[in-house]
Amino acid sequence: MASERQLAANRRNARKSTGPRSGAGKTRASRNAYRHGLTLSITSTAEYAKQLETLVCKIAGDTKDPVKLERARAIAQADLELTQVRRAKVAPIERASAFGELDPPGPTVSQMIRLLNAFQRGRLIDPKPIDASATMPPQEPDRSAEAIRRVLPELCKLERYERRAAARRDRAVVNFVVEQSEHNL
Amino acid sequence: MRPKNELALLPKLPLLITESADEFGALCDAFEREIKPRGIIEQMYVHDICSIVWEILRLRRCKVVIINSTFRTALEHLLVQLLKKPSQYDYQVEGEARALAQSWFTDQEAKKQVSETLSRFDLDEAAIEAEAIRRSSSDLELLDRMLTSLESRRNKAFGCVAEYRASLAHQLRESADRIIDGKDVLQLEHPSDKRSTAA
Repeated sequence: MASERQLAANRRNARKSTGPRSGAGKTRASRNAYRHGLTLSITSTAEYAKQLETLVCKIAGDTKDPVKLERARAIAQADLELTQVRRAKVAPIERASAFGELDPPGPTVSQMIRLLNAFQRGRLIDPKPIDASATMPPQEPDRSAEAIRRVLPELCKLERYERRAAARRDRAVVNFVVEQSEHNL
Repeated sequence: MRPKNELALLPKLPLLITESADEFGALCDAFEREIKPRGIIEQMYVHDICSIVWEILRLRRCKVVIINSTFRTALEHLLVQLLKKPSQYDYQVEGEARALAQSWFTDQEAKKQVSETLSRFDLDEAAIEAEAIRRSSSDLELLDRMLTSLESRRNKAFGCVAEYRASLAHQLRESADRIIDGKDVLQLEHPSDKRSTAA
């Protein structure tokens, strides 16, 4: 149990961290959910909504019971979300395999030094863009493995979403089974 | 045999363009023969297990390739250490080490020379592998973390199938008991009784 002093300190600290204050910060934070779209509702596209309803009917059977239908919808939604995350995991590997990196590489330190030296001498050099795909192994399976290695941090982040979707699906199945057994009693 | 109609309802696992859909299909068939899923929920779990196992295989392949691709750099680094005399700097032996490491993969003579250099310090080719693993340890650590997470989810999915089956079996048993006890048997009114009541 926290003491009064600890509670007061917690409240004081909480007041300090109330999210972004500047306009730019607020704008940036407002777009947090759009970075990968994995927290978006799956029913936001018509195709998904159709797929979802088909799956719900298959899970729930020919019932009209709204509770059972809702439980079935939760299972179907979590399962479709799982596929969505898996698709999001494959996409960066494909991109890295094709282009070498997810984001275009910036100039290296030595390039920057060369540019600054040239600028000091009154010359302007147009730096050549770096072709990241040229640094990729030409053959498979080395190319795919290298692509996976380059996007490993992104894959680790997506793994968290995948785990969450799987846990939600498992919970939904348990709820569905409980509902079914209560219905049978 | 796979219930194709149910499987078609489940979203397809996105594969890399270099991966074979037939191989993934064969993996699914093998798991379905083993688990024999009944109903869409069991089918869903089996599909999940197949997707996880496929990803595990992908990452394990990647792990081997990462170690192999670091082999040349690892050997080069090791040779710089071994070839350098106490009075020398690294750059003085780097050229020789690079050339030797390059030809180690194709030239038997170079391979022999590397082995001799290694044995002078009581080392063998395992030292090259160890250095390759050390140099790619940050990537391997991330890969291992992902593999551990996937393996635990695969095991959980197996448990979920068993749990779902057990609860379904329990429900069926209860329903059967109720029928045997006559609790759920519909009590039909005899037509003659109905007539007598009306009269």
